Amino acid sequence: MKIEGAVVLVTGGAQGLGLAIACHLSALGATVVVADRNADAMSSLPEQMGRYQLDVTRPDEARKAVADITEQYGRISILVNNAGVIFSEPFVNIMNPAEMMHDYQRFRDSITVNMDSVFIMTSAVVEKMVRSRTKGAIVNISSISACGNEGQTAYSAAKAGVNAMTVTWSKELGRLGIRCNVVAPGFIGTESTHRALKETTLKHIKESTPLRRLGEAQEVAQAVSSVIENDFINGVVLNLNGGLTI
Amino acid sequence: MDKKLTTILADVFGLRESEIHPDLNKEYVDNWDSLKQMDLVLSLEREYDIALEIPDILKMASVSGIIEVLKEKGATLED
Repeated sequence: MKIEGAVVLVTGGAQGLGLAIACHLSALGATVVVADRNADAMSSLPEQMGRYQLDVTRPDEARKAVADITEQYGRISILVNNAGVIFSEPFVNIMNPAEMMHDYQRFRDSITVNMDSVFIMTSAVVEKMVRSRTKGAIVNISSISACGNEGQTAYSAAKAGVNAMTVTWSKELGRLGIRCNVVAPGFIGTESTHRALKETTLKHIKESTPLRRLGEAQEVAQAVSSVIENDFINGVVLNLNGGLTI
Repeated sequence: MDKKLTTILADVFGLRESEIHPDLNKEYVDNWDSLKQMDLVLSLEREYDIALEIPDILKMASVSGIIEVLKEKGATLED
């Protein structure tokens, strides 16, 4: 699929990995629209990008956003589901006996923002694609945590769910010319990674990674464009982790 | 300090043995979180043949606190 001339919607595209993906696809000639909750961050997006303030956990808002963007740009041919929030909480916190077990509401909230959002956005976009007979591609940004990362019950479950939904959709939607794939980054040296993890932890991660470094946001963006451009890639979880396993 | 305890702490927290002293506490060890605390508890129970309860575990927020708990449990420690 040609990226040049495609209309791409990138969720959570105002910062970090999402911004790198949006800029890369824009540089390849796509018309990029960023949907993000953070209006301030969107105000500093490059001028040529469209922007839409959106909470991706709200189905009504998502449907309206997709309708508005489709009306303005004619179609959405590629959806990159990048929006999400890293969340860590041990299942058992032995140092807090009063509330020893993982809070259920925080579990639900993490599942909502990291997995339900992908269902909600993909559902809204694919409905438009099917009704207008538009072929296209869905790229979901997952994580190495989908393999099960200690201290991340909810985030790991959400990302594993994203992988499973994507493979399922690839089987259902392939016949319609809609390909669905996952890019699953390992540890990427973004601001959010540095905020979420201590420097000693990052040092340990680098030492455990066969390539002995963190990934770069641009490398994730390149992986996204690769799965879009290759028309025979469908139902793939592309791990991008320098060889690290957890 | 007790050699066996020093080895356990170094293994659990990924520290050099020279970094371990009685004043060391969880505020100064980056990865001393609840998961590492469970690793620590299981190592101490296995190596000293003791059983630790929640109140004991809560006291173990420093090396001196760990030594105190071990002594209360009747473990024999080197000076």
